[in-house]
Amino acid sequence: MIQTLLYGLTIGAILYFFAIGLSITFGTMQIINFAHAMVYALGVYFLITFMPLVKGIFPLATLCAIVAVIPVAYIMERFVIRRLYGESLDYAMIATYALLLIGTDLIKAVWGNTPQPISDPIGLSFQLLGIDIPVYRALIVVMAVVVFVALKLFFTKSIVGKIVVAALEDTEGVRCLGLNVDKYFSMVFILGSALAVLGGILYAPIATAEPYMGHDILLIAFAVVIVGGMGNLTGTFVSAFLLGMVLAITGRYWSQAADTMVFAVMAAVLIFRRSDK
Amino acid sequence: MLNVDGINAGYGRAMVLHDVSLKLKEGETVFIVGRNGAGKTTLLRTICGLMKPVQGTIDYRDENILGLAPEKLAQKGFRFVAQDKKVFSDLTVRGNIELAAYAAGEPISKAIEKVTSIYPDIKRFMDSKAGGLSGGQREILLIGRALIGDPRLFLIDEPTEGLAAIVIEDIFRILSRLKEDNVSALIVEQNLSVVSRLADRIFIMKEGKIIREISEKSEMADTLALESYL
Amino acid sequence: MNPDTSLSQIASTKRITIYRDMVLIAAGFFALIPLLAIHRVTDFMIFCIFVMSFDLLYGYMGRLSFGQMLYLGTGVYVSTLFSLHFSPNPILSLMAGVVGGAIVAGILGLIVVGLEGASFALTNLAFNQVGFFLIGSAFQRVTHGEDGISAGVEPWGFLDFANEPAAFGFVLLCLLFTFFMLRILTSSPFGIIIRSIKENESRVKFLGYNTFFYKWLTFVLAGAFAALAGTLYTLYVGFVSPVFIHPLNNVEVIFAALIGGAGNLFGALIGGVLFMSMKDSLSTHIPQWEWILGVLLLVIVFWLRGGVTGLIKSLTGYVKTKMAKGMAEEVEKG
Repeated sequence: MIQTLLYGLTIGAILYFFAIGLSITFGTMQIINFAHAMVYALGVYFLITFMPLVKGIFPLATLCAIVAVIPVAYIMERFVIRRLYGESLDYAMIATYALLLIGTDLIKAVWGNTPQPISDPIGLSFQLLGIDIPVYRALIVVMAVVVFVALKLFFTKSIVGKIVVAALEDTEGVRCLGLNVDKYFSMVFILGSALAVLGGILYAPIATAEPYMGHDILLIAFAVVIVGGMGNLTGTFVSAFLLGMVLAITGRYWSQAADTMVFAVMAAVLIFRRSDK
Repeated sequence: MLNVDGINAGYGRAMVLHDVSLKLKEGETVFIVGRNGAGKTTLLRTICGLMKPVQGTIDYRDENILGLAPEKLAQKGFRFVAQDKKVFSDLTVRGNIELAAYAAGEPISKAIEKVTSIYPDIKRFMDSKAGGLSGGQREILLIGRALIGDPRLFLIDEPTEGLAAIVIEDIFRILSRLKEDNVSALIVEQNLSVVSRLADRIFIMKEGKIIREISEKSEMADTLALESYL
Repeated sequence: MNPDTSLSQIASTKRITIYRDMVLIAAGFFALIPLLAIHRVTDFMIFCIFVMSFDLLYGYMGRLSFGQMLYLGTGVYVSTLFSLHFSPNPILSLMAGVVGGAIVAGILGLIVVGLEGASFALTNLAFNQVGFFLIGSAFQRVTHGEDGISAGVEPWGFLDFANEPAAFGFVLLCLLFTFFMLRILTSSPFGIIIRSIKENESRVKFLGYNTFFYKWLTFVLAGAFAALAGTLYTLYVGFVSPVFIHPLNNVEVIFAALIGGAGNLFGALIGGVLFMSMKDSLSTHIPQWEWILGVLLLVIVFWLRGGVTGLIKSLTGYVKTKMAKGMAEEVEKG
């Protein structure tokens, strides 16, 4: 049981990395970015490519992968999403889905369709309360907490963070002060993408790398955003771990129902939220 | 300074403004009066760039500003204060001012000074969340925010709406100080006492059109007659 | 002129237009037979019904759902299971499928219809995913999951789906029926309310209409017609599998609606035929063709918003103005 709970924490951490970018994009631009699933997978594949180049140093390869994805995210946002989200949310979403289709096929073309396993970069475990815990998994959870704290600081202390917080609530107000919100939304979009890549890379040794890896997590991440609240930083953090637990616990007893359980929670939240009004 | 000509604007296929024209001279405080739904807010939003008209022109200091984004107009000195008195509630009062200062490229200390000069009491709330402020405090904060940088044209939408009489007098005092400082302002307002005491000119709007322009002092002071337009 | 007669005159001219359109559509599909082979045309027509149902929701009411496959799939599986466990009669199976789709849409609609934009799009996708799971895994014993299951439909009277012309005829009838119903619906006061909701919902609410009800009803109808398409797949193909409810296939109907031109029943039909033709030709020549779909979607979203019908409209408009100018010049000269 403890193993399951720990697994839930790990999944929750990964979900958080993936969902936070989605949540901010959702909150700022009001769209769901399907292409998020694609940068997630792309990052992992970049990692696979870079590993031999950096003599197998995992953190270095991770850094290179994140850096490599940034221009991709920038181009997507600057030339596709930004031109659409202001005037038509539907078209923006369809466009991100189109980017997902293109990107996934691109990945398949460059790296092939077969799943590629990645080994646990640490390969150690430690003992806590008499249970074997892989260091790697614990590290992931720790990193998620660190990122959460860092983001909190960023959004409360830095001027860019404050602009985004203000724009999440009152985009017009920010514009009428003279600030170009598009620029700042772009920044957080890239930040969100980078975090998703980090999540994908951290998760890859636990799962395997395959071109559709982003698709599955996308929907769960969406549930995380809905439950936690669009653009709500703390909410996303809490709901990521909550739903991670739901996944892990359901997965232990009825593995295929895990996803559905998450959606059931999401539906329940949706129903109860509206009955409040 | 500001020349609005033949504006037709609306939402989707529903036109709200029909052939609206007005001129504003530098240093004037002009009020727009009319009942709800007359299009006053739409007019203000069109001038500050939040809405794009389907027809018409807007010139500011002989420059065509039609279609310019609100952030560009803000950089030219336009300051829009919306009717809903929305502040950045998740930020502190200081954070609100910080944002305006950053946007205008003004040192934060100078910005805080400007805001406290019209509202000394606000020092107490500096580090509280702006969302906790009362309606009147928010309006004053918004006007204070608008003072930051180099404001040239104030576009204020119903500053006294929903406020208690005492607070309205505070707002009145702030607006008269702005007038003394020779600020140019286009203000939508339904409180005729404020209007008649401050107006250099009054535009009456009805059903999306400007039906009258009043510039006679005696007429502007006649609040009873003005009431008929509300 | 008596106002009542003029109204009924307008109504009857509308009816004539609808009948004329139906004849044109039927003719169009008949014309495709020599080009594509009759069984492909039947397949195309079933897909077109699905596209029309999607267009009701997206084109007319302005709500983009990424999960309409759920209702197609419901129609498929309810009719299949009905035919196996209750009655092999094709008409009864069809009705069971449609009713099943309507019920599911009715229940889920209560949750979903109050949502907007991205939330609406994605929650539908989430439900689709759940449906796929239920069919593919949870109820595996009944549905045979990924292996698929054969429907138990048997010929009834002249309705024998193994007979290609009979199948074609029946599907065409269903398509014309769908077209007829949706045409009447969208040009009725109900349709006007729906389209007004798309433009400005708060205004419609302000006028006193219960927009929730109208949205919900449209959602149910869209689900019912999607399920109709599903049941036709059951009857025609005879063997069903979870591919008919797979969420990734939603992009197909979205693409078809867009390329044909959203908010336009003819657009739905043109888009359906175009997409299916594209899919047929591409998948035989290029194994990995989804990116082409992606590129085309981007093209549509940036430059070709009105789809094919939009293009035709602007072309005819251009030609008309050119002709008018030409005539005006003639008048000036002469």
